[in-house]
Amino acid sequence: MLASAREGNSAVTATAPPAAPDDGILLEVRHLVQEFVLRDFGGAKGGVLQAVSDVSFDLRVGETLGIVGETGSGKSTLARSVIQAPPPKHGQVIFQGQELVGLHHKALKSARRNLQMVFQDPFSSLDPRWSVSRLVEEPLIAYGTGNLAERRERVKSVLDLVGLDPNRYGIRRPRELSGGQCQRVAVARALALEPKLILCDEPVSSLDVLVQAQVLNLFEKLRAELGLSYLFIAHDLALVKQVSDRVAVMYLGKLCEIGPVREIYSEPLHPYTLALLTSIPDPDPQVGRQDTADVIKGELPSPLDPPSGCRFRTRCPRAQERCAAEVPEMRPMSNGHYVACHFPLAGTWQAEAPPAGQAAGESAGQRIPEQGRIVNDIVNNQSTMRF
Amino acid sequence: MAASATAADAGGQQAVQLAPAPLLEISDLRVTFRARGAQIYAVQGISYTVEPGQTLAIIGESGSGKTVSAQAVMGLLPGSARVSGSVKFKGEELVGRSQQDLRSHRGRSFAMVFQYPERSLNPTMRIGAQITEAIRTHVQIGKNEAHDRAVDLLKMVRLPAPARRFYEYPHQLSGGMRQRVVIAIALACGPQVLFADEATTALDVTTQAQIMDLLLELQQQTGTALVMISHDLGLAATYAEDVMVMYAGKIVERAPTKELFAGVRMPYTQALLDAIPRIELEPHVLLPVIGGRPPDLASIPQGCPFAPRCPGVQEDCRTDAPTLKQHEAGRWWACWHPLGKGTQQ
Amino acid sequence: MSLPAANILTTASVAPAAELAGPAAGRRWVRNLEIAIPATVLVLLLFFCFIWPMVYPVPKPVGGSLTTVNLPLWSKGHIFGTDIVGNDVMSRILYGGRVSFEVAAGVQAIGLAVGGLIGLVAAYRGGWTDAVLMRILDIFIAFPSLVLVLAIADSLGPSETHVIWALSAFSIPAFARVARAAALQLRDRPFVVAARLSGTRAWRIMFQHLVPNMLPQLLTFSMLGASLTIILEGALDFLGYGIPQPTASWGNMIASGESFISVYPRYVVVPSIFLLGTAIALNMLGDGLRARWDVR
Repeated sequence: MLASAREGNSAVTATAPPAAPDDGILLEVRHLVQEFVLRDFGGAKGGVLQAVSDVSFDLRVGETLGIVGETGSGKSTLARSVIQAPPPKHGQVIFQGQELVGLHHKALKSARRNLQMVFQDPFSSLDPRWSVSRLVEEPLIAYGTGNLAERRERVKSVLDLVGLDPNRYGIRRPRELSGGQCQRVAVARALALEPKLILCDEPVSSLDVLVQAQVLNLFEKLRAELGLSYLFIAHDLALVKQVSDRVAVMYLGKLCEIGPVREIYSEPLHPYTLALLTSIPDPDPQVGRQDTADVIKGELPSPLDPPSGCRFRTRCPRAQERCAAEVPEMRPMSNGHYVACHFPLAGTWQAEAPPAGQAAGESAGQRIPEQGRIVNDIVNNQSTMRF
Repeated sequence: MAASATAADAGGQQAVQLAPAPLLEISDLRVTFRARGAQIYAVQGISYTVEPGQTLAIIGESGSGKTVSAQAVMGLLPGSARVSGSVKFKGEELVGRSQQDLRSHRGRSFAMVFQYPERSLNPTMRIGAQITEAIRTHVQIGKNEAHDRAVDLLKMVRLPAPARRFYEYPHQLSGGMRQRVVIAIALACGPQVLFADEATTALDVTTQAQIMDLLLELQQQTGTALVMISHDLGLAATYAEDVMVMYAGKIVERAPTKELFAGVRMPYTQALLDAIPRIELEPHVLLPVIGGRPPDLASIPQGCPFAPRCPGVQEDCRTDAPTLKQHEAGRWWACWHPLGKGTQQ
Repeated sequence: MSLPAANILTTASVAPAAELAGPAAGRRWVRNLEIAIPATVLVLLLFFCFIWPMVYPVPKPVGGSLTTVNLPLWSKGHIFGTDIVGNDVMSRILYGGRVSFEVAAGVQAIGLAVGGLIGLVAAYRGGWTDAVLMRILDIFIAFPSLVLVLAIADSLGPSETHVIWALSAFSIPAFARVARAAALQLRDRPFVVAARLSGTRAWRIMFQHLVPNMLPQLLTFSMLGASLTIILEGALDFLGYGIPQPTASWGNMIASGESFISVYPRYVVVPSIFLLGTAIALNMLGDGLRARWDVR
């Protein structure tokens, strides 16, 4: 029942209760597109910025998916689109079996109960005039859970969970707290309703090194204790490795590579991933400077006018004619490791034949039996190519 | 004072150079701010030197005083700041000089590159004009000659299509390109010390690598000393010759980079190192981290400022403030019970 | 009723209170002064206009007798003298002051409540709501303020409440614009997005998140608006469209004294000083508060 509901077009009704995903998939994102219309001075349409372009991935229960990208990669926009603030232009976001795109206001609110977000700047994500307890209580009031006493209890327990003594910090205002403490309050607020998935948009980027480590440890602790799933967005590769089970790399709105965390770091397949890894300054002087000229060149192109074909080709040392002509598809390379590149750094593509009985042009799900999940639609029948 | 000398090798290819006089000698620099009736002791007596052509990294978290101390050297602090101590550039005292005197040094003797290039550039002025303005502040040359020099500078910072970019506005460039322009402006008059205050923090990591490579290359070309101010120990490890760690307004450790990372002495530095996520680590490992926060700068602490948080704190740490001393050749630290000396784990 | 000359207002209401004590840091003390001086002036004015006549037998502002016509300043019992029909100028000043303050307060309150609400809703809802509301307000703003106010006052007829309505036609669009700008700034801040994601309903967000954060801006704007209102009200009365005689108001005092300005300039000068002084004090207070709140 669930499978046919997914393949249909918005066949899931808004009032259907979110079914517990039987194959453990919490979030499915399919062909997500988000665009921003830029207006000139007079209000006329100046151009269309496609911040997120045809992104698809899955997130399983209890898993942390790290999304890495630099400026203009669209990673923050992706998070906002998943949470429907604002909703994406095209594509599907299926959370706990329920399609979120196009949901009516009330239904969206009840669906979002299990989906919360933590923002980058701790200070501006908290109302400066509200006290900490009030801030953490807000989602409880909005969803009408429990009476006053029960809500107060919940606020206290959740503040304890993030390491803030409710008696000391309950009445404080955000400006009396440090960045790390504010971020803890933001996490507490996100936890108040016992969500299943927390989207973290660069939650530690604006914190100092030591505080950053404290907050990261908090995320880990919560993950272990509460079985939370995270969509963790960051630009720091080392950080993302710290917290993730799987990692996805984005560039100019497109997904370059996605796979298990260890593989991405030990055997990157996309040239951009390699460039990112090479550019990180290692806190070990023995490693020394790595020459990045071999792995990346030039400047980031304007997101308004991205390069044709593969968007990374203008900076890729391996680019060839095909890269300009054809947009690379996301292809599976090995256990759950997928890359969108015509000339990946290593490995072979798996041959796939469309499942029997599939009509031409209908999007087919390619099931990898060991993983039990659909990652992307593969339309054509590709023969194995070796590099 | 760290002395550097290059000895002649057997063929006498390199002349023996005596220890060059340090470019910058900073001695017991203190900066205090008056705010809302209270004093803030932002820098509490730091002393260090910068040699010609040296690459020094000053590492610290926010509130450590790293930026304020650099701004004090450049004379960029607001009127509410009280600066005392001594800052000597080639023997010339800078503390207490008028803004006019300092202006003749800024750009010529030392220059600074800041974190946000879009804030350093005038959005309504063409890039070329901003560079020529910087040049003509210090050097009396004609417009055409300034134009040529500016284009040369843009070439030097590897800006693509420099002749065309000369006439463009900052908003037409990307973040990395803007930072290159800012570097070009900073180097326009050939300063001997370049301060880079979190110059690459706001840039993408790929761009950061490119800009740092550029800075080091320019350093080699022009012989400028580079002082990198950052919170990123990785940056220091990869690009700096010497590292200086600041905490709560004081210098707590200083050493050549390789030696520092081979054996950290100050527990704070070790805590910083431990807290950095590393690619080599396995995922989902809890980072060893210490609790607490840096001390409030409204008062000068009695003992070591790190004592409340130090995992190896002992009685004397709380009562006596350790001073920065050169304990080994080229290595300085301010700690009663440093690591790696047998008394700590 | 004669008043002992020494009793009335011997402490000039405009002198700054010498006992202001500020904290040690110099600039903060000055800033406190920027707020304290006009605040003191206004408090004193309010006191004397509203409370003083209730506790002290002040001569009536109307119904003066011809025996006490045109008394000069500092006359016995009439510190500002009397006007051409024998009314005590000082008490007319005080009662006129009441009118000015009442009108100012009323107009600002209506502007804040109605205009603030319009601006808030327009900013939060955006889209068509915003466009329609703003275009309607644009019509009002397009009129020169005085012309608009005169037109309304003329059609309604002269009275204090009508003056308030007429002036509100000016203050409502002004507040709406300020409130809209403030709400737009706040609307996309992360904490508002976070509140939406927490499931908080729109009206709750508007009134519990946006309004408290907009209030400093709106309050300072209302101070500046009050000062303008007092001037406009004076203008209305002066032109004859406002408070009718014999009720005292600063504006109509200036109007009736205008014809005698060469002979008895004090009939124009005295109310003008109060009018101007109050407007300046409100302006200074507004500026001082804005400076204080912006720094924070």
